[in-house]
Amino acid sequence: MPKVTIPVGPQHPALKEPINFMVSVDGETIVDADMNLAYSHRGIEKLAESKTYLQNIYLVERICGICSHTHTTCFVQGVEELMGIEVPERGLYIRTLVAELERIHSHLLWTGVAGHEIGFDTLFMYTWRDRELALDLLEMITGNRVNYGINTIGGVRRNIKAGMKDQILKHIGKLEERVQYYTDMATTESTVLLRAEGVGHLPENEARKFCAVGPTARASNIPTDVRKEDPYAAYEELDFELITSDSCDILGRLIVRMQEMVESCKMARQLIENLPSGPIRAPMSREVPAGEVVSRYEAPRGECLYYVKSNGTFYPERLKVRASTYANWPAVVYSLKGYYIADIPLIIAAIDPCMSCTSRVAILDTKDGNERKVLDMDYLRTYGIKWYKEHGRGVRRR
Amino acid sequence: MREMEIETETGNLEKEERIKAEVVGKLGDKVEKVEIPRERRMFIYVKRKESFKDVVKFLKDWLGIIHVSAITGLDVGDKFEVLYHLFSYGKEKEGVEVTVKVSLPKTDPKIDSIVDLLPGAVLYERENHDMFGIVPEGHPDLRPLLLPDDWAETGGHPLRKDWVEEKEKEKEKEKEKEGRGE
Repeated sequence: MPKVTIPVGPQHPALKEPINFMVSVDGETIVDADMNLAYSHRGIEKLAESKTYLQNIYLVERICGICSHTHTTCFVQGVEELMGIEVPERGLYIRTLVAELERIHSHLLWTGVAGHEIGFDTLFMYTWRDRELALDLLEMITGNRVNYGINTIGGVRRNIKAGMKDQILKHIGKLEERVQYYTDMATTESTVLLRAEGVGHLPENEARKFCAVGPTARASNIPTDVRKEDPYAAYEELDFELITSDSCDILGRLIVRMQEMVESCKMARQLIENLPSGPIRAPMSREVPAGEVVSRYEAPRGECLYYVKSNGTFYPERLKVRASTYANWPAVVYSLKGYYIADIPLIIAAIDPCMSCTSRVAILDTKDGNERKVLDMDYLRTYGIKWYKEHGRGVRRR
Repeated sequence: MREMEIETETGNLEKEERIKAEVVGKLGDKVEKVEIPRERRMFIYVKRKESFKDVVKFLKDWLGIIHVSAITGLDVGDKFEVLYHLFSYGKEKEGVEVTVKVSLPKTDPKIDSIVDLLPGAVLYERENHDMFGIVPEGHPDLRPLLLPDDWAETGGHPLRKDWVEEKEKEKEKEKEKEGRGE
C-alpha cells in the first residue's frame, strides 16, 4: 500500500497556535511524523541586540503570554549575575511567589485544554473557572493578569502590601482545595483514563535521548527540575517535592502536573508566610560589564535557558533564548508513532506546547491587501498620537 | 546573595573542580582552558574544531552528560563561536551546566554534527544553520527550520552581525537614487 501523508495544522492542531505536522499513516495508525514550526518566528533574538537591557525585559516578557514571568526572571537573573547585583531577599520571595502562581495558572490552563482535547468540556469549564483565582491573585500582586511586568534588574517593581497577605492566603486555600479535587478526579474519571492511559508512550531512555524537559520528562520517570538541581531565586529555602511518574504516558503527564500544582500551592503558602521584610530591589546602573552568562529557570513547561553576552555597553551583544517547548518537539514526534490519528491533538497538547516560545523571532508585519506594511516605532507613535487625539478625551474622562 | 555564597562556600565548587580535573587530565591538549564562573556553571574552551567532537564524546562516555539544553551561535567579528550548553543530571543541587565553546573561521563555517552522539541536538543544529549558516557536517536533515518557507536563498542568515534586511537594502538604494536626483 502506498504511504499516505496527511497534513495536520498549521491551523491549530492542538492549541490555538500554528504548527504543522506531516503525518504518514498506515490506515489509522501513525507511522511517521515531520514538523514545520516556522509560522510564528518573530526575530526577537535579533531585535534584542538593538534594545537596552531594561527595554529587553519587556521584550522578552512578550515571547509568551502564559509563561511571561519565566522569560523575564530568566533574563534578569542572568543580567544580575553579570552585574554582580545582590537581590534583596524580599524581592526574590515576591519573584518566586509570582512564578509559582504562574505555574498554577499555566497548569490549570493546560488541564482545561487537555480536557477539551479529550472531549471532556466540563473539565475545561471547571479548570478555567478556578484558574481565575490564580489570575486574580496575580492581578492583585502585579497589576496585570498576564505579562505581569513585575521583574526588573535588581529585584521586583511592586511590593506586597500588608493587607494583601490574608487575601492571598484565602485564595491559595481555595486553590488548594480545587487542585486536590482535580488530582483525585484525574486518576479515577473513566473518560480521562480511556483517552490518556497508555497513549503517547515515551519511555525513559527515549525521553533522555531526545532531551525532553519539564513535566514531559518527569512523567517519563526522569527526576529533573531546575528548581531542585540548580536552585535560583528563593527555591533553596523552600520545602517541596519533586514529582515524577513512571507511567510514561499522557496520564502520567496529567498526574505530574496536578501534583505539581499541589506543591506550588504549598510553596506559595510558605513564601507568603515567611516573607522577609526589607527592600524589594537593589539599585542598578544601566551599563552591564562585559561577560557572558548562562541562566536557567524551571518554566511550567520545563527548563528554560538564556545565554546573555554583554560587551560593556547598554545593549546586549547576543541574547539566546531556548524556551521549554522547543526542547520537547523531538519527543512529541517520537511519541506520535504507533497511535491513532484521533490521538494526535492530545499527544501534541500533552507537552503543553507554546509555539511562540518555540520560534520567537522577525519583523512586525501586517498584511494590508496585497501590500505589506511594517509597523515601525515611528509609525506606531504617530498612530498612537492620532488615536488619542480622536478618542483621547473620552478615554481620559473615564 | 549568590555572590556571597560563592565567596563563603568555595568548598561547594568541588564537583566542578572534579570535572575540570578529569577534562584537563584526559583531554589535555585538546582543551584550551576550563573556566568555572560560579557554582554549577562551567565553560570548556576547545582548542581546535577538529577535536571538538572528541570532547563531547568524552563528556558523554566518561561523565554521562547526555542532555543538550541548547546550542548558541555567536558572531564575533572575524569568526563564529558555537556554544553547546550541556547539562549533567545529578541529585539535588548536583547538576552542572557545562558549556563547550568552539570557534570556527567565517570562511569555512563547518563543524561536525553531534546528532549521532546526542540526538537531542537535532533541532538546535538546524536552527544555527538557518540563523548563522553554520553547517553541521553529518546532520541528517538541514531543511530550513525557523525561517519562512519562502525565505530566499539569497536572504542570508539573519543573526549574523552584517546581515541587512531586504527592505533596508531597498531603502538605501532609494536614498542613493534620490541623492543622485538632487
